[in-house]
Amino acid sequence: MTVKIGILSVAHMHAYSYASAVNALPGAELVGIADHDQARAESAAKTFATRAFGSYEELLAADIDAVIVGSENVRHRPLTEMAAAAGKHILCEKPLATSVADGRAMLAACKSAGVQLMTAFPCRFSPAMVRLKSAVDNGDIGKVIAVRGTNRGRCPFDWFTQLDQSGGGAVIDHTVHVTDLMRWLLKSEVTEVYAEISNRMFQQEFDDTGFLTLEFDNGVFATLDSSWSRPKSFPTWGDVTLSVVGEKGVLTLDMFSQNLVLYSDKTGGVSWSPWGTNIDELMVAAFAKAVASGSPLPITGEDGLAAAAVSFAAYASAKAGKPVAPEVVL
Amino acid sequence: MFRVAIAGAGGMAHMHASCYTANPNACVVGVYDKRPEAAAEMAGANGATAYASFAEMLEAARPDVVDVCVPTPWHVDYVVAAAEAGLKGIVVEKPMGRSVADCEKMADACAASGTPLFVAHVLRFFPEFAEAKRQVDAGAVGNVVTVRTRRGGSFPRAWENWYGKPDWSGGVILDLVIHDLDWLRWTFGDVERVFAKGISPKLPPASEVNSDYALITLKFKSGVIGHVEATWADPGGFKVGFEIAGDAGLLESNFNQPAGVPFVAALQRGAEAGAAVAVPESPTAVNPYYAELDHFLTCLATGATPSITPKDGCEAVRIALAAFESAQTGEPVVLP
Ligand SMILES: NC(=O)c1ccc[n+]([C@@H]2O[C@H](COP(=O)([O-])OP(=O)(O)OC[C@H]3O[C@@H](n4cnc5c(N)ncnc54)[C@H](O)[C@@H]3O)[C@@H](O)[C@H]2O)c1
Repeated sequence: MTVKIGILSVAHMHAYSYASAVNALPGAELVGIADHDQARAESAAKTFATRAFGSYEELLAADIDAVIVGSENVRHRPLTEMAAAAGKHILCEKPLATSVADGRAMLAACKSAGVQLMTAFPCRFSPAMVRLKSAVDNGDIGKVIAVRGTNRGRCPFDWFTQLDQSGGGAVIDHTVHVTDLMRWLLKSEVTEVYAEISNRMFQQEFDDTGFLTLEFDNGVFATLDSSWSRPKSFPTWGDVTLSVVGEKGVLTLDMFSQNLVLYSDKTGGVSWSPWGTNIDELMVAAFAKAVASGSPLPITGEDGLAAAAVSFAAYASAKAGKPVAPEVVL
Repeated sequence: MFRVAIAGAGGMAHMHASCYTANPNACVVGVYDKRPEAAAEMAGANGATAYASFAEMLEAARPDVVDVCVPTPWHVDYVVAAAEAGLKGIVVEKPMGRSVADCEKMADACAASGTPLFVAHVLRFFPEFAEAKRQVDAGAVGNVVTVRTRRGGSFPRAWENWYGKPDWSGGVILDLVIHDLDWLRWTFGDVERVFAKGISPKLPPASEVNSDYALITLKFKSGVIGHVEATWADPGGFKVGFEIAGDAGLLESNFNQPAGVPFVAALQRGAEAGAAVAVPESPTAVNPYYAELDHFLTCLATGATPSITPKDGCEAVRIALAAFESAQTGEPVVLP
């Protein structure tokens, strides 16, 4: 069976990567793209040799099985609710929602419509991450004591720094991936968040810097740097790193370190050209396969909301100047 | 020629002794250690005399300088005793003391007798850390926004497993990353508040461990946010690194390399190696330990003020113990 997929908005740059992943996937078809910015839908449709629809409603009325929501963060809820009402399975970009209430509404809409919701957490598909998880599951380092994580990047600007579109700056953008990896790895929920957050990198209204400390219900403690602290001249977009400290050893992961180093007189700079596995392709393939077979999706909407709730707690902690418990979402 | 007497004959004392012996302006004249055989061995290797007591060494060896390299909780005893002996100068290993009160006692005693006291925060003499401060001061990364350091390796084995007794050593937070805390304060100014999680602060008194780990978040008065990783739980070898991110660039040492190795497993191999503490090495022409001690002797000779003051030693201990307290209480600690 060919899984027919539509894309609801390409506002997020990851939507482009997902579109090319769908095109590269045998057994999947990119039926079309819709966007509230029609010109953006048309140019993306041209790039990916597919059709631009005139509206979300039109695309949802077409013969498709599933959608990918790649909009600005605040539109995740309305687009997910529309897709659920139309009976389509959904792969939604992270952060799942900009408030716990929105996230709960999305979960409820999908449940009552009988469709599945997956949060786009491609890092779970990284072969190095899979290897790390199996080492932990295998007991190679014994009981886990602590985790140190980072997910830094360059500031994406655009709607990411317009709070009415994004719901937050660096902290909402970069907390969720690594929080999800930690939850998945530890099979445990975050019980407490402390955060130092600042906007001193760009001196604007949005936060650009976040150092979080997390406590898990199994006693593990962790920190996470979720800052937009990579300068424009950094040789790559950013990083995802984890150091997992156990009683019997340490596992370290530098997810995007499989690179060539290019010193170029054309650009006058140094850059890293990645040669590692395309994890977006693995994630889209897992989504399409589950949709085709009617089996449960590997990552849920609940996972997305639990990770987002940690970022909301980080903002609350920074405001209060003390540790706070994230809202329990499940 | 400075006549130097050393209290302690363990790992760090040997490093200091060899630096004085190599220094044309210094010689080791006396060694005292509560283990006479250790004192005799180190004295022999440096052409010095081993003494049966510290008081006898002060009396008989006629030192100009006393260097205190015993484990941290006893720094105060020897520094205060030496301060009353009318010396030209005193060196004390980091961390300056086991408590802020001990640090203040040492500072006061040396101030009262007019004896220059040098806290051996050697990191300031490691070329990459010194250069990083120069670059930051010169505005290389613009206004600094975040700074991250990491330090550590496997668990240090030493006399009476004193590193493994948090009551004595203060664990990784006090013993190990005092280096980074002093360098951070030197480079980015005073700390406003600290939040930390760690293993040893959660243990009951009189505990003994064979590993430790801590993660510390610092908010500086300048607005800079810092993160310090401290480990005695990594069998993968001693590692030191830092990165400083500003609004105009990023400066790093051993931090974001395109390693091509996205996964590393470092596993304990069972029985521990011999009794030793990893001392970071820096293969440059000048040994940083030599450089710090030579700096102090030069200051004593010229009357210049040493670049590290007793207050610096005291403040680094204050920050570390605030982190220790935060990890105990689970709350951020605001510094005075
Ligand atoms: N700057 C650095 O990089 C660095 C590295 C290691 C240690 N240090 C510091 O140096 C100091 C010594 O540490 P070390 O690794 O050399 O320890 P160590 O265990 O190797 O040696 C300690 C020595 O002190 C002796 N001793 C213990 N209590 C004594 C007392 N009350 N009076 C006299 N002698 C006593 C012991 O017999 C032993 O020989 C500590 O403050 C430590 O934090 C600094």
